[in-house]
Amino acid sequence: MTLSPELRAALVERLTAMADDELVLGHRDSEWTGHAPILEEDIALANIAQDEIGHALLWLEARRELDGSDPDALAYRRSAGAWRNARLLELPKGDWAFTMLRQFLFDVFETELLARLQASACASVAEAAAKAAKEEVFHLRHSGLWLRRLAGGTEESATRLRSAMDRAWPYLPQLWQPLAGDAALTEAGILPDMAEVGAAALERVRAALTGSGLEPPEVPPNPGGRDRHGEDLVALLIDMQSVARADPEATAW
Amino acid sequence: MTPAETNAAPDTQWPRWEVFKQDAEGKPHQAVGSVHAADAEHALLMARSVHARRPAAVSLWVAPADAVHAVTAEQLATDPETPAPFGAGARRFLVFRKTSHRRSMTFVEHVGAVTAAGPEGAVAAARETYPEPPALAWWVVPADRVTASPEAEVAAWFEPAGTKTYKQQSEYGTLAAGHRKGGRR
Repeated sequence: MTLSPELRAALVERLTAMADDELVLGHRDSEWTGHAPILEEDIALANIAQDEIGHALLWLEARRELDGSDPDALAYRRSAGAWRNARLLELPKGDWAFTMLRQFLFDVFETELLARLQASACASVAEAAAKAAKEEVFHLRHSGLWLRRLAGGTEESATRLRSAMDRAWPYLPQLWQPLAGDAALTEAGILPDMAEVGAAALERVRAALTGSGLEPPEVPPNPGGRDRHGEDLVALLIDMQSVARADPEATAW
Repeated sequence: MTPAETNAAPDTQWPRWEVFKQDAEGKPHQAVGSVHAADAEHALLMARSVHARRPAAVSLWVAPADAVHAVTAEQLATDPETPAPFGAGARRFLVFRKTSHRRSMTFVEHVGAVTAAGPEGAVAAARETYPEPPALAWWVVPADRVTASPEAEVAAWFEPAGTKTYKQQSEYGTLAAGHRKGGRR
């Protein structure tokens, strides 16, 4: 489809936010590689990390079609201030309960977003959404299983899950907070109504928590725009970008 | 005896589950290895992650390792099993067998099901029901101990594997002693 310059700019912003969410979460998940509680979960989470990073590439490739930007340059040579991920996803990996809860919250949000995005008027976005949505079904099974097991496990697992909820909740609504250009994209049939995506995600999260015997906390006011980050993102990028920055001319690595 | 007395670390592993993978419709489920997991649902998720991330698959079964009764043809020849009498306690067993040990890729494969009072009886029934080709080893598992991956989620569990190419490490470009080998993928 042919996009007006305004719609094109708005879609670039939205695709960047979607890609950055996936890449930052994928990197945090990858930090468990070699450290997960058991070998099988180590492999399972490494798979999920790769899937999320793969989704980031889908969105960065879609952005490349619009503005010719280089996905590698965006991933490996962009400073923290230019990232548009939600704060929740850059928080340190924490313990297994926090990792699984954060993954669950993002999986629910992504599932609700992708379900609607498959009907996007922008064919390349709809196609990428269909591809990513398939993997999210499995991700949600995995993180949903852990949510129930941690909630209904031991006193320690339930305590850890409640601490994880306290930590994650203030950041939750930022996942679906609309960007400045989203309304125009929704008007053009390219992006679903993000407020509606958020309401659906929240309802699903609440149902899962209640079903696990947990009291869903009140959803706080929005923590601000996606252009604001903590020092955690700076530390993550130093780690993630160090090899690429050490040898920017590398042709094989 | 405490772990210190036996000089062995306590076993903190979750139970072990045997994993059976079906590559395509119409092919038998094959034993491909095992996973540790907390329960059947967890075992299926672990099995998908460990054994079906890359290779083709359409279905997975898991069974607790302690529910698998395994016996080789050699054991049966030297020390025949005594089947429990067939009675009211009869249950259905899934039967798996291995018929070849040529090359490395040989599997214990699903062949069918029998009804018997116990695992020894199931092996005896399996030998009668499935005489050809001669089996080198038999596995029998109570059918109600086997859990299958959800049929409604075949696409989500197994289709993404088709888009992920497995590459040997030699596929990736490397730089060694100033000599560039291979290229950027």
